[in-house]
Amino acid sequence: MRSLQREPALLLALLAVTALVLLFVVYPQLQVVLTPGPGGYVQYLQEGTWIRPLRNSIQLTLLSTTTAVLLGFVYAYAMVYSNMRWKPFFRLVGILPLLSPPFVVAAAYTLLFGARGVITYGIFGQSPNIYGLNGVWGVQTIAFFPFAYQLIADALSRSDPRMEQAARNLGAGSWRVFRTVTLPLSRPGLGAAILTTAIYILEDFGNPQLIGGNFYVLPTEAYSLISSFGEYTSASAVSTILLLLALGLYLAKVRLDGGRSFVTISGRASSMPRPPVSAAVSRACFVACLSLAGIILLVYGSLVVSALTLRFPNNLQITGEHFQYVLSGTNGDALRNTLVFSGVAAAISAVFALFAGWLVQRGKWPGRGALDLLLILPAAIPGIFFGLGYLLAFNQRWLDFVDRGFLIIIAFVFWNIPVGYQAAVAGLRQIDRSIDEAATSLGASSLRGFRDVVLPMLGGSLRVGFVTTFVRSVTTLSLVIFLFTAPTTTATIRIYQLVGDLNWGAATAYTVADIGMAIIALLVFAVLARGRIALGAARA
Amino acid sequence: MTPELDRRTFLKLAGAAAVIAACGGAGQKATGRISIYSALNESTNNQLFAAFTKATGVEVAALPLAAAGDLQTKITAEKNNPQADIFVGGSSEFHDPLGKQGLLEAYQSPNAKDVAAQFKEASGLWTGWYTGIFGFISNTSRLNADIGGKKPATWDDLLDPVWKQKLIMPDPIKTGGGYIFIATQIFRFGRDEAKAMDFMKKLHVNILSYGPTSPGVITSISNGEAAGAPNWSHDILTEKAKDPSRIDLTVPKDTGFEVGAVSIVKGTKNLLGAQAFVDWVLTKEAGDLNTKLSNRGSVRTDVAPAPGAPTLTSVTLVNYDRQWATDNKTRIQKLWQTTVGIQ
Repeated sequence: MRSLQREPALLLALLAVTALVLLFVVYPQLQVVLTPGPGGYVQYLQEGTWIRPLRNSIQLTLLSTTTAVLLGFVYAYAMVYSNMRWKPFFRLVGILPLLSPPFVVAAAYTLLFGARGVITYGIFGQSPNIYGLNGVWGVQTIAFFPFAYQLIADALSRSDPRMEQAARNLGAGSWRVFRTVTLPLSRPGLGAAILTTAIYILEDFGNPQLIGGNFYVLPTEAYSLISSFGEYTSASAVSTILLLLALGLYLAKVRLDGGRSFVTISGRASSMPRPPVSAAVSRACFVACLSLAGIILLVYGSLVVSALTLRFPNNLQITGEHFQYVLSGTNGDALRNTLVFSGVAAAISAVFALFAGWLVQRGKWPGRGALDLLLILPAAIPGIFFGLGYLLAFNQRWLDFVDRGFLIIIAFVFWNIPVGYQAAVAGLRQIDRSIDEAATSLGASSLRGFRDVVLPMLGGSLRVGFVTTFVRSVTTLSLVIFLFTAPTTTATIRIYQLVGDLNWGAATAYTVADIGMAIIALLVFAVLARGRIALGAARA
Repeated sequence: MTPELDRRTFLKLAGAAAVIAACGGAGQKATGRISIYSALNESTNNQLFAAFTKATGVEVAALPLAAAGDLQTKITAEKNNPQADIFVGGSSEFHDPLGKQGLLEAYQSPNAKDVAAQFKEASGLWTGWYTGIFGFISNTSRLNADIGGKKPATWDDLLDPVWKQKLIMPDPIKTGGGYIFIATQIFRFGRDEAKAMDFMKKLHVNILSYGPTSPGVITSISNGEAAGAPNWSHDILTEKAKDPSRIDLTVPKDTGFEVGAVSIVKGTKNLLGAQAFVDWVLTKEAGDLNTKLSNRGSVRTDVAPAPGAPTLTSVTLVNYDRQWATDNKTRIQKLWQTTVGIQ
């Protein structure tokens, strides 16, 4: 990238990106952070009710991140390196846990594995109490491993097979190659995966809320303050504590991966196949992925069953009434809103994240670090506060002419930037600068170099950004709960209402419709991208 | 501005005034559309609002969210540019703080004059129109197998060791119902907070888990995760109607209740329409419909209760001081957390 002075277009682009981030991330969040005022913070901190949730949050984040990243790594390794069968199937199942609309999926775990669970009690006659730390840990591990899997798979698949082939030729065994070549080279992806997964687990609200029992964490504490005390001043203080924790995680990550180079793509990507892993490893990968997929399918399968039966699990008579309800009246509008908002937001967010990633990673200008942080921060803002901030900032009379749908789309775009952005930065760190410099030295502008050279090489990162933004937008309740208006109701709002109405059948039918719609949309997207952009992450 | 334009404007205004005068014999008529934030059940919303539109001609844009606290926060955060005309449903505890912050428009509906004083705010900031009674849900097969078939006649019965780890309770922090349960105990012990907390502490031993939503707890009991739970009578009856042999409702002695309220949001763009809605929900027609759809009671004495539903006169109630319960909510919740060792 040449200097900003010599390329005014680049300078303009940089200013535009910074302005947008300030307007749509910093400004609304300041409204929330400033709500309590200095007195409010002092009073809340003195009450001390935040100490226990804080400790719980840290403990849970450590446990769940460790297991989720381990699982994500195994899954990614299996997808990228092994020769196991059924990879397209595993790729699809691997993103299912991302598609977990509020309450219903977590409730399905209690129906299957709870005190009177279909599996635990029905088959094994056990009545475990899953409410509490252990239950949340288990569910979060499954729910969040896909983030780690996507980011790690993207990094692994970009590492150059020639390096591994070379190590093999020099006599190293497959374990040694993995340990001394593969693992170190995928460190940017690994770091990004740990950071993003940890932050998302830290701000997870749905799972601790539903199965946490007395195990309060910061997001559930904040929500309780809002929902039951109507006290959003103290809730804002909790949100600020969460932001500070995320900031800590971010600084730890920056220290961890330092400024080293992880360049592995130094020319045209080689078409050389990866060195084969042994049949035994492939089989082990297959078994591991199959057992994980089994649990996931059990949970999602139970949703399909309850959507199609009268009263799961007590009355299994088949019925179509729940789906009829979903399609009746204005219920369908909410599904359409969800599809439109999420699709538009995902496209914008993916491209924006990639472009911002390129500006930050390749640029040499002051303040890069600050922008880098700001682009990761939204992950640490619980959706409910992100939405609240938007309401406080943009629910103004003079903005009434703007349709609320636009505001929801913008909120989706900026709330979901971190994953796509992390993928882009991790990807760029593995691509040699000399490649984009070749373009600019041949006379192309930096922006043109980005479009024609960098963009095509970062298809994987683009895909990660798109898929993550799309599925998170389709399934978020907390972000829209304060933003939606009657005509901009989304599917998750409907699901929440049906759960509250004790209408489990219709709630699961709506959930299945929501998830089904998302999967179809992703498949269409995959076809439109002519197979180059496959579902999930790994170009296996 | 030219004199001609002035004259034109004047003529237009005069015409409009004539039309309005022609329409209303006894004042102006409500028209147009109102936006309603509703914490009522899904099944109630649709039919109730359709009946209102039919009766008055005022259309409804409904924003349903079965979480009154969320709606309260939404209205607070929207104060610069209110999006709602009406906030309906949810116990008056959620309306009262909005009134205190000056976010509600006072309105004394002519239809509220027969409503007892304990069901409405004196200056008309909110008006109660339905009641809900706190009861107890039991899972029939688990009650017979684990508890010996005996339903609790008093709240103290729940301290019996047979209930150990067999109760679920709506979380007193996360749910309105859970808090009303604690406040009920305080009033039951004549406002002796120490005795009430002692009761909650002993009860804690018998509790398997605290559920995040009141309806969710009903689902859990229906599925047999525990033998019983304190919960809302009307919701228990709704669940029971689906499968009468699975669960049952009892109302222990000295219980508490909620007053479901309706209020007009300050800054409403359709004051007449909003007032028409308040007038209408206080009619017998609306009371009958709500009773039928939700099993709740009505503040009107001429509305018959739903079949099998308890009424404020058929059960023994504590002397529930709603204002005290609202004002001391935060303090009591924190006291409870410390008492049972959750905080």
